[in-house]
Amino acid sequence: MTTTPLVEARDLVAGYVPGVDILRGCTLELHDGEIVGVIGPNGAGKSTLIKAMFGLLAVRSGSVHFRGEDITVSTPHRLVAKGIGYVPQVANVFPTLTVNENLEMGTYLRPREFRKRVEAVDALFPRIGERRRQRAGSLSGGERQMLAMARALMMDPQVLFLDEPSAGLSPVFQDQVFDRVRDINADGVAIVMVEQNARRCLEIADRGYVLDQGRNAYTGEGRDLLHDPKVIELYLGTLAQAD
Amino acid sequence: MQQSRLGSVLILLAVALLWPTVGSALGGDEPGTPTTTTAAAGDVQAYEGTLTEAGEPVEGVTIRVETLEGEEVGAAESGADGRWQIPIAAPGRYRVTIDTETLPDGVDLANPEATTFETDIFAGRPTVVLFALGERVGTGGPSDLERLAQSATNGIKFGLIIAMAAVGLSLIFATTGLINFAHGELVTLGAVIAWFLNARGPRWSLVVASLVSLAICGLFGGALERTVWRPLRVRQVGLFQLFVITIGLSLIIRHVLLIWFGGQRRGYLDYRIQTQWELGPVSITPRDLAIMALSALILVGVATVLQRTRMGKATRAVADNVDLSESSGIDVQRVILVVWIAGAALAAIGGIFLGALESVDWQMGTRLLLLMFAAVILGGLGTAYGAMVGGIIVGLVTEISTIWVPSALKLVFALGAMVLALLVRPQGILGRAERIG
Repeated sequence: MTTTPLVEARDLVAGYVPGVDILRGCTLELHDGEIVGVIGPNGAGKSTLIKAMFGLLAVRSGSVHFRGEDITVSTPHRLVAKGIGYVPQVANVFPTLTVNENLEMGTYLRPREFRKRVEAVDALFPRIGERRRQRAGSLSGGERQMLAMARALMMDPQVLFLDEPSAGLSPVFQDQVFDRVRDINADGVAIVMVEQNARRCLEIADRGYVLDQGRNAYTGEGRDLLHDPKVIELYLGTLAQAD
Repeated sequence: MQQSRLGSVLILLAVALLWPTVGSALGGDEPGTPTTTTAAAGDVQAYEGTLTEAGEPVEGVTIRVETLEGEEVGAAESGADGRWQIPIAAPGRYRVTIDTETLPDGVDLANPEATTFETDIFAGRPTVVLFALGERVGTGGPSDLERLAQSATNGIKFGLIIAMAAVGLSLIFATTGLINFAHGELVTLGAVIAWFLNARGPRWSLVVASLVSLAICGLFGGALERTVWRPLRVRQVGLFQLFVITIGLSLIIRHVLLIWFGGQRRGYLDYRIQTQWELGPVSITPRDLAIMALSALILVGVATVLQRTRMGKATRAVADNVDLSESSGIDVQRVILVVWIAGAALAAIGGIFLGALESVDWQMGTRLLLLMFAAVILGGLGTAYGAMVGGIIVGLVTEISTIWVPSALKLVFALGAMVLALLVRPQGILGRAERIG
């Protein structure tokens, strides 16, 4: 890991309400071709970390760099142009727009590439391809998650930030989501994935970060964290132990 | 709560600064009532008037004046310009009669019973007597169906204008969450600027004046967004505080217009006098028909832009979800700026058309505001198409209600329709209940 990280967040402090910091000095590195998992208990600041890195939340101190360039105060739509994609946990599709229009919004900055990209994305998510004329608001939760990922992939990003992609989905859909995350990564997209389902997340992650109360608690290889007794005790619970 | 204090201060300032001018401007400029005198014409008192039918003077009609005892004191015939005058020697109360036998063929009194008036005449002043001429109406009046057709036409005409003005209100709410209480003033501003360019300042034709007016109003909307709303959003001022500020802004714009324009109603110079076209049971002037056609065309244009163009789709996307739009690469602030410019221009067109249909005054937009809110809520909050459908329904309901109830109550029916519709469809007519999960 001597090369410049693709994405590097240093000592991030951020929050929603003035005077209350949710992130209190978080650090994260993402290298080319990696999947990085971010896990931790409720309220640890996992989603906040992604939002702060993506410019959806003002950073109070610390810095974010993309390929060595400071993007700490950049707006999300500029980061999209640079090659970063983001899939929120909830409200991740435009419900009154059709599936097709949702995908068009994915290539808002480069409308000419729509045709080419939509074929690539259709291949990854055939189920979405079948429903192009349907309003996104009529899709099921799992289908919405697929559409949300498809939308974020329309710009052919180098980096994808995923916020709890498996939350609220049935086990079958959860499996599909994790399979797709692996497929996307195999195509060369580096991924930061925040997950409640810590065990599944660490199984496919190259490295993992465990957050606690807005700070990095543990960092390590995904598999190592999965078997670290302290992590198991604190965040994975007895189910993981029984495995 | 610094922001709420700011809003309150704005309002108090506006009221304190502008209130004294309201009374004087209103009192000074009230037009005289039509049946009494206007200007002194020498020191001879006389009965006088002008006979016109559908804007054309009616010549050669005999008018007689007699005392209440039946003694004739004077008579006159209307001239080529339709004017007649009968000098009266002594002030007092007289009976003024029109000789219906002398009316030209095809011209009758609008009310065949109203051939005689008893009025007073005062020393040294003329008294105007109005004989309303028009098509003879059947003794039973128009049938209910004919009245319904006429009211429905008026309702669609009015509704199209509400719809145009309300689209901007709805889109601004959808993209920023702001309830713009000053949207009515954008309507007034459009009409007043067009009036100034047409009737007072450079005296351009109404078409040119309207185009310039809507451009100015569009820029004004954009300037408001850039100098007021965007900075306040960046500072994360709450929506309620912003709402209060729009009330203050509405008061400021309205009263600046009152000072500049005055409290009276005024009209454009063009398209004032029009012959009604009879289309089946409906009579309508070519001007009104043109306004309806243009309004419909503009609404279809707006819908097409929203449905088909990149900016239109982005607008709907921002209306759905601001953060997700930003995360998709849409420059949300730019979309909101475009929405403000287009919304203000649409409101201005609504105002210009309303000014041509009725008249221009400093409160015309304020009176429309409640109907615009009703249209937006009825159609479904935040959907542009809902505002269009809602506007037309509100227009129809208000006008059709005047068949059976006094027109002063017509707003009640618009709001009643809104409440009823929401009881049946809480999300509005075109609003959609979303599937969750």
